[in-house]
Amino acid sequence: MRLLLVEDHVPLADELLASLGRQGYAVDWLADGRDALHQGASEPYDLIVLDLGLPGIPGLELLQRWRSGGLVTPVLILTARDSWAERIEGLKAGADDYLCKPFHPEELQLRIQALLRRAHGLANQPQLQAAGLQLDEERQCVSRAGVAIELTGAEFRLLRYFMLHAGQLLSKSHLAEHLYDGETARDSNVLEVLVNRLRRKLGTEVIETRRGQGYRFGAPGS
Amino acid sequence: MRSIQRRLSLGLVGVLLVVGLLLAQASLWLFDLGLRRYLESGLREEAESLLIALVRGPSGMQLDEQRLAPGYQQPFSGHYFRIDFAEQTWRSRSSWDRELSQPQRVGLQAELGDGPRAQQLLIYRADYRRFGHELSISVAQDYTPVLDSFKRMQRLGLGFGLGAVLLILLLQRWTVRRALRPLEEVRLQIAQLQQGLRGELDSRVPEELEPLVAQINHLLAHTDASLKRSRHALGNLGHGLKTPLAVLVSLTGRAELSPALRSSLQQPLAQIEQRLSRELGRARLAGEALPGAHFDCGKELPGLFATLRVIHGADLALSWEAAPGLRLPWDREDLLELLGNLLDNAGKWADVQVRLSIVQEPGCYRLQVDDDGPGIAAQVRQDVLDRGSRLDEQVAGHGLGLAIVRDIVEAWNGHLQLLDSPLGGLRVSVELPLRATGR
Repeated sequence: MRLLLVEDHVPLADELLASLGRQGYAVDWLADGRDALHQGASEPYDLIVLDLGLPGIPGLELLQRWRSGGLVTPVLILTARDSWAERIEGLKAGADDYLCKPFHPEELQLRIQALLRRAHGLANQPQLQAAGLQLDEERQCVSRAGVAIELTGAEFRLLRYFMLHAGQLLSKSHLAEHLYDGETARDSNVLEVLVNRLRRKLGTEVIETRRGQGYRFGAPGS
Repeated sequence: MRSIQRRLSLGLVGVLLVVGLLLAQASLWLFDLGLRRYLESGLREEAESLLIALVRGPSGMQLDEQRLAPGYQQPFSGHYFRIDFAEQTWRSRSSWDRELSQPQRVGLQAELGDGPRAQQLLIYRADYRRFGHELSISVAQDYTPVLDSFKRMQRLGLGFGLGAVLLILLLQRWTVRRALRPLEEVRLQIAQLQQGLRGELDSRVPEELEPLVAQINHLLAHTDASLKRSRHALGNLGHGLKTPLAVLVSLTGRAELSPALRSSLQQPLAQIEQRLSRELGRARLAGEALPGAHFDCGKELPGLFATLRVIHGADLALSWEAAPGLRLPWDREDLLELLGNLLDNAGKWADVQVRLSIVQEPGCYRLQVDDDGPGIAAQVRQDVLDRGSRLDEQVAGHGLGLAIVRDIVEAWNGHLQLLDSPLGGLRVSVELPLRATGR
């Protein structure tokens, strides 16, 4: 999952980068509204965490311009402005959720998980489920029929992405774009290795390889 | 303060009555005076003709009956005379058995004398000397018919005068009403302003009212702008304080901290956060300051409910009912804060349903939020309401949200009640009294 964090307060951004990184998200950080306007629309983010008090372009205007430009990426507003009038304004501008500062890191984590599930049409699940697997995003492990299977951080990130896109054909470059932030070198061999490790842990039939096209997780009949 | 209309009417009636009565009485008096002067010359001529009718007869001086006017012969004709000379008194036959008293002074008498048959007599006395005798001739004329016609005129004049006063009053009322119509319009507009039906006064008014209306509009704009400014500043302050607070809260989650240290950091941080939210929220309230403020239910509630649906998910059935076009005369942000917190609380506790109803009742608006959750037992409801005022005891749910609701309701002199809901859970009922308007 690749996230864009737009926040101009450096210490908070540092904290968020660290905690979101621990939760297995690839995060790009921008502090200026003008940069975010461009990058938010051009890079394939899965979710954007947006602060409202930004230099350059105010957060709400930024959001409106993204939405009028056709951007459909879920946006979570993170702001100290907690009055209901401002919340309504934020959601009218096209936000998908609204979290008021100060917040507990767990709260943000839960909101992000819920928002991602909702964006992929899996709104009502307390835990991410696909192809007979249950993903515990808190402990970063997966279970099948009550049997827990430990995962490494990289495996967890890939599996989460697969589970959110169950049944879809995903190319290697697509996966690389969504699993790594803008500054990490992308090596397709690493992905192959990770897919093989997942197959070893979960069974080969879980991830189908389409030669020249990419991978498909939880294909029908598997 | 009495109305200008009534004051003007009273003043006008007073002036008209005083001036009209004075004028009528003075003209009657002048007319009476002129008439008496005119009659005086007639009486003098009569006295002189009586003098001529005095002739020297065989037994001294006698009155030539032939020369007397017929009025003196006919009883109670209204024309009388009396001639005094030496020790004798002659009087006209017309006075019959009644003697005309001799006036003290020469000339027309100021007082009317009593005559026969209740006649009021105008008496004139002249003294002469004839045939070596001192003569005093008094002639009198009945003045009653004139007095009667005066009375008739007074009555008539009074009737006409009253009619005229009434007519003038009606005309004046009409004129004043026309002249005061702009004032009346301004009064209506101010009433509308207080009901939140308009944001400012119409500036197309007569020039006498222009400074007033301009000043009111200026004050409205100023209040509105300073409210916006202070809300903006509070927003910035909140942003400035809460962002570092978010960093601190996030830092307390670090694994390096011992559990004891973590909880002793988290508790004061939570207190700071609550205090900050409460006070900033309270400072944001417009309260009763803004007369032009209004909340358009049909326009604002859909946005609020869309927001609540995002927060609570699509499974919760949120509904609202309010009369079409209902506008509440309070600040939009205050009301959103009030309803947002009440509905959010209800949503947290509800099973599947939350319902808002806004009803206008005589003298107040009633806002009711119902949920089908577990509700609150009657005996602990007061505690829940009180808890809002004791920050350190707040819990999530019916806590801080209810505290700000209480602040808002108190600022509007409203009344907050926790009741049983027909849906099975809690009903929060807020009664907001209408502000006094012009009339």
